[in-house]
Amino acid sequence: MFRLHDASLAHANGFVALREVTLAARAGEQIAIVGPSGAGKTSLLRVLGAALRPTTGQLDVLDANPWALPAAQLRRLRARIGVAHQAPPLPPRQRVVTAVLAGRLGQWPWWKGVASLAYPLDIAGAAAALARLDLDERIFDRCDRLSGGQLQRVGVARVLYQQAQLILADEPVSALDPTLARQTAQVLTADAAARGATLVASLHAVDLALSCFPRIVGLRDGRIAFDRPAAAVDQALLRKLYASEGGQLPELSAVPAPLAPSSALGSHASFARSPLATVRDRAPQASDTASVPASGCWR
Amino acid sequence: MSHPRDPAAPARAAGLLVAIALLWPLAVIGEFHPWALFEARNLQVMGGFLAGFLPPASDREFLACLGRATLETLAIASAGMALAIVVAVPLAIASTQALSISRIGPGPGRRRGEMLRAVLRMLLVVLRGVPELVWALLFVRVFGLGPAAGVLALGLTYGGMLAKVYAEILESGDGRPARALLEAGGSRLQALSYGLLPGNAQELTSYTVYRWECAVRASVVMGFVGAGGLGQLMDQSMKMLNGGEAASILLTFLVLVLAADALSSLFRRQLGDAGTGGRAAAIGPPSLALLALLGAAVLASFVWLDLGLAALLTRDSAASMADFMASFLPLDLSVDWLLKVGKGSLETVAISLLGTLLAAACGLLLALPACGRHGRALEHGTRLLLNTLRSVPELVWATLMALAAGLGPFAGILALTLHTSGVLGRLFGEALQNAPPAPREALLEAGAPSGAVFLYGTLPEVTPQLVAYALYRWEMNIRMASILGFVGAGGLGQLLYVELSLFHYAQASTVIAAMLLLSVAVDAASARLRRWLA
Repeated sequence: MFRLHDASLAHANGFVALREVTLAARAGEQIAIVGPSGAGKTSLLRVLGAALRPTTGQLDVLDANPWALPAAQLRRLRARIGVAHQAPPLPPRQRVVTAVLAGRLGQWPWWKGVASLAYPLDIAGAAAALARLDLDERIFDRCDRLSGGQLQRVGVARVLYQQAQLILADEPVSALDPTLARQTAQVLTADAAARGATLVASLHAVDLALSCFPRIVGLRDGRIAFDRPAAAVDQALLRKLYASEGGQLPELSAVPAPLAPSSALGSHASFARSPLATVRDRAPQASDTASVPASGCWR
Repeated sequence: MSHPRDPAAPARAAGLLVAIALLWPLAVIGEFHPWALFEARNLQVMGGFLAGFLPPASDREFLACLGRATLETLAIASAGMALAIVVAVPLAIASTQALSISRIGPGPGRRRGEMLRAVLRMLLVVLRGVPELVWALLFVRVFGLGPAAGVLALGLTYGGMLAKVYAEILESGDGRPARALLEAGGSRLQALSYGLLPGNAQELTSYTVYRWECAVRASVVMGFVGAGGLGQLMDQSMKMLNGGEAASILLTFLVLVLAADALSSLFRRQLGDAGTGGRAAAIGPPSLALLALLGAAVLASFVWLDLGLAALLTRDSAASMADFMASFLPLDLSVDWLLKVGKGSLETVAISLLGTLLAAACGLLLALPACGRHGRALEHGTRLLLNTLRSVPELVWATLMALAAGLGPFAGILALTLHTSGVLGRLFGEALQNAPPAPREALLEAGAPSGAVFLYGTLPEVTPQLVAYALYRWEMNIRMASILGFVGAGGLGQLLYVELSLFHYAQASTVIAAMLLLSVAVDAASARLRRWLA
């Protein structure tokens, strides 16, 4: 699916974001990247998404070396990679439906993109993607009418709609409250699993990463500190990873309070507090299975 | 799964239908016949004229003439601008709410103060609502041919514009410092200089410099009604179909406009650094030297133009002016004439609206290469094209288009389209460059084709700004469209020109009143549209 070999990335200002990173994934694998701020999580995802060219090293994505492809083929390759951004890059005046449909612009012929501006051509598709995130009621609202958390989920809906073979998610749930964060992460993993797509997500909350993803990659100072199954990641390893942040592990419960969920999400808001205590010690309890379906990422 | 329909669709469809229903008759009224450009006769005339462009005239006698006319144009702009500032400053101080003493409390004389401000605002509307070329045309009849009419016309129109904008700038900033000073018993001038100017001086100066740039362009065409400068020369060359001379004059326009651009951006950069010198004196030596230079330039302009404005103050000239004014009253309001003026007004609206719309479309197309997305060669080429388009004044384009497409409103539409494309193309390009890059880049990284990236990532971000620019331009173009008729490009201008040359002043004043009404109506419509879109 992708193979990054010995890749380094130096930004134009001389800052070295990645150092000799080697990372590979098979089709259908789900990987969480954790690490302190500034560790290079975003850089790694952008390199994997063929948005940043590694200064040295080799990258193969979806059976192609993106930087050896001619422009048209590179564009087609990128259309098969979906990115969910931490701050969704959606024009404030665009409507939600248009923002979601824009996910397939790389697959649509040009006339379809133009026609869809006059009348959204796939309302059903956009509505289905939004419905999985409980946002289908806001489909015809303008993006600037949404809260930060809702906007972030619109960004996720766009990736779902794109149906990419490689999904890269850069802190996709950072603006959500714990319950919604877990549900949204679960929607992403379920979608990737159902379609056999590969999913790589950087996550600030370690507990979420451990509970939702089978494989964990720890990143620190632009290097891979560890890369092992979630079950083999213990507290000592994590504390070492986050040593620069005082050894305090960032968890869902410790994540700064998200923007208030809107009325459309009122039904979930009532669960917002109860899982907190359980998340801390990562013990499954009845209250969590109530809000998270059995097929979820709760081990 | 059943899904909702787009609730915005019916409104969009209705909007489209209304737009077509409005634009169709306007296109008929404006005699929108693009094929006229390709008629054999028009092609022949235009081709012959354009063939004469090369080589541009460069004989010594003509160049001397051109040099003198260029200096005269600059002098008219500077002198007119100085006059405008003299007119504008007291009017702005008197009409701005930010310096109202009677509003505090409210104190005594509040009613009177509000009345005074309302009357002053009405005066400002009249001053700037009548296009400067119409003022010039009137003044030429009082003062005879020559630059005096141009200077006075600029002074009045730009005085009105400056006063309005000055007053608005003073009101838009933080009013508390000035109010505190007024409440402490300060006078209006004290409150202005200690409370308002520190915050607003830069914006005021920057707007003044921008207006001077506009004044240079405006004084270029004053000559078309006999008020001196380059326009007079252009008019003669065009009438004799002397392509070589026309080419030299057009090149001079380009140089003038580019130089004015450069000078004004230099000024604005200097302004940004003002007051950081750490000196006791408020004005440092460089600024002082600049001010002295400016003063000398204005003085030289007045002296060199030899306006003879002193003669204005004699009793004889005052009496003859009063007679001249009186002959415009009462307005001719007979039904026949009103119908004719109504038709001219519709034609003017059609010219302004179609010209602005076409220009917005062309401007957007040209803005894409001009903002550097398709390589540097194309960027520089398009920028040169945009500068050329906007450096040639609308009235000059209209004379050229009258050759290319025949006399009538269609020539006016083309003229507005060409000039405004240059202006809007530049503004649109800047807006596109300043658009937030994240949505665009995200779509590019998702493999969207570049056209779709523009439509989904960039356009939604900049649309409000683009529409606002186009609407502002429409406000200017309605004034322009009403004078393009001076050179045979349809609309109210044609009526006015004919009636004035027949000394039918009562009829002429009806036309001027119609121009005023049109410009006020378009201002209001555009302001409403902008508010609605925001």
